[in-house]
Amino acid sequence: MIAEMAADKNGAEKRVKEAYAKAQEYQSKFNDVITFVDPEEQLKDLPAEGLMRGVPVVLKDNVNTKGIRTTAGSRILSTYVPVYDAEIVEKLRKAGAVYIAKSSMDELAMGGTNLTCFTGPAYNPWDTRRMTGGSSGGSAALVASGVVPMAIGSDTGDSVRKPASFCGIVGVKPTYGRISRYGIIQYASSLDHVGYFTRSIEDACVTLKVLAGRDDRDMTSSNREVPDYSALLNSDMHGRKIAVLGNVIKNISNQETVKMFNDLMDQLRAKGAQVDVYDFDENLMRAILPAYFIIANCEATSNDSNLDGIRFGVREDGEDMAEIMTNSRTKGFGPLIRRRFVIGSYGLFEENQERIFRKAQKVRRVVVNAMNDCLKEYDAIIAPASGNIAPLINANEDQDALSDENLIAENYMAMGNFSGYPSITVPMGFEEGCPIGVNITCRAFEETTMFDVAKAVEEITGYKDLQAEVK
Amino acid sequence: MEEKKDREYFKKLAHQLMFDLSDEEADSLVREFGTLEGQMALLDAVNTDGVEEMIYPFEAETAFVRKDEVSNVITQDEAMANVDKKIEGHFVLPKVVK
Repeated sequence: MIAEMAADKNGAEKRVKEAYAKAQEYQSKFNDVITFVDPEEQLKDLPAEGLMRGVPVVLKDNVNTKGIRTTAGSRILSTYVPVYDAEIVEKLRKAGAVYIAKSSMDELAMGGTNLTCFTGPAYNPWDTRRMTGGSSGGSAALVASGVVPMAIGSDTGDSVRKPASFCGIVGVKPTYGRISRYGIIQYASSLDHVGYFTRSIEDACVTLKVLAGRDDRDMTSSNREVPDYSALLNSDMHGRKIAVLGNVIKNISNQETVKMFNDLMDQLRAKGAQVDVYDFDENLMRAILPAYFIIANCEATSNDSNLDGIRFGVREDGEDMAEIMTNSRTKGFGPLIRRRFVIGSYGLFEENQERIFRKAQKVRRVVVNAMNDCLKEYDAIIAPASGNIAPLINANEDQDALSDENLIAENYMAMGNFSGYPSITVPMGFEEGCPIGVNITCRAFEETTMFDVAKAVEEITGYKDLQAEVK
Repeated sequence: MEEKKDREYFKKLAHQLMFDLSDEEADSLVREFGTLEGQMALLDAVNTDGVEEMIYPFEAETAFVRKDEVSNVITQDEAMANVDKKIEGHFVLPKVVK
């Protein structure tokens, strides 16, 4: 879809303006935009050529945009207007993309529900009683409802890949360092990745070609050459070895999802792939979410200490500097964020660091070592991206936080952030009229293999350019 | 003796981080702390003897010493653009000595 749009040079203005109008029309239904961006100026500035020339896109609102308000979904940044563009904004503009909106997200990208944005929840286009998932939920909703063919997200635990599952679209988290994070408002630096949503694997290939590449302004950015992902796309599964994460399947109680997944695996075998069940150590799988939670919160409490209301953001009154900061941070952050900062800070106390933070970092290495063992033998690791369709927004949270279903089946995807390995979610099927996805993870910088397996899945399911019917 | 992890403990901790917690929020943290302890037990179940901490995904150095050339400059006005209270390029804060 993106390639066709870019080739249709005369249709650029009409297409972008239609997308802009559609985003506004849908806002009352999905509440998926924080700030609309009038595309007029960008349209005047379109390059003559470009892989995304005249393609309307959306940016998650933690992407800094010069002169355009960037809030990261938090009240404390609700007046913040960056004086520079993120590297990916420059890359998108150079390729001819036109961004029409800054999308809703969980506050400071912490959370998996998209219910904590200061502008309220985003609603799932397949069923507005349900959540989009988060933290990149607004971007997911805008792609799923057909407003734009591509939207940027960010993924620290599964914040692109889980909403992709809940919204029936493709969600990509490339290798750590593949896309520059310069100008992205950070959450947890050692886990943060720029990711994105599309509705087809072809569009995912084009997008990565545009976004990837070395940036001297991001010290974690890779020097590796960027392949032509579209030209290399090959869905032939003969000779491919795929490992099913047995621990995840075992801990999904919803047998409809298990059956859907097993049927898909049979079809991958029929396409020539060798698909085997591979079990990780169960104790290690249980430790992924705790290790993630600790590392992410510890890094976040340090990273976000600059949000004080004085240098930027919303400032509250106070008798002295300390009171100004305290009042600004109390009113500026939602309750979830403040609680997470407390937990993060606790883990960083000198007396706790070895027992909590350092232990989590060691467990991280053991998890990655186990992934390496698996990926020595297999080209990809595969499992359902979630055990169920998107939860109802008003559902009572009765799941035991320490149950194996929650720890393993619902939260294993953070292993992709621990390792930095490329990981993608693709639609797999439907339950109760709502989509559910499958997740594929490959070796570092082997996005080509990841796209190949994802393309094979797309061919099996036929869910290319899938979008919700908006009533 | 280890300090009791009650409502007051978390309020004090929050204050060190320059924000307040309501009674309800602090109580919620007391409950979450129980979950955190459960999570710690799950981490302890993984043998990490002799394992080095993993700080970043890749150990490969990508940093370098850049050339001593001016780049990506912003003006003082731009640097101060998001400051709520300012006068002539300075942050405005309450007097320290009264």
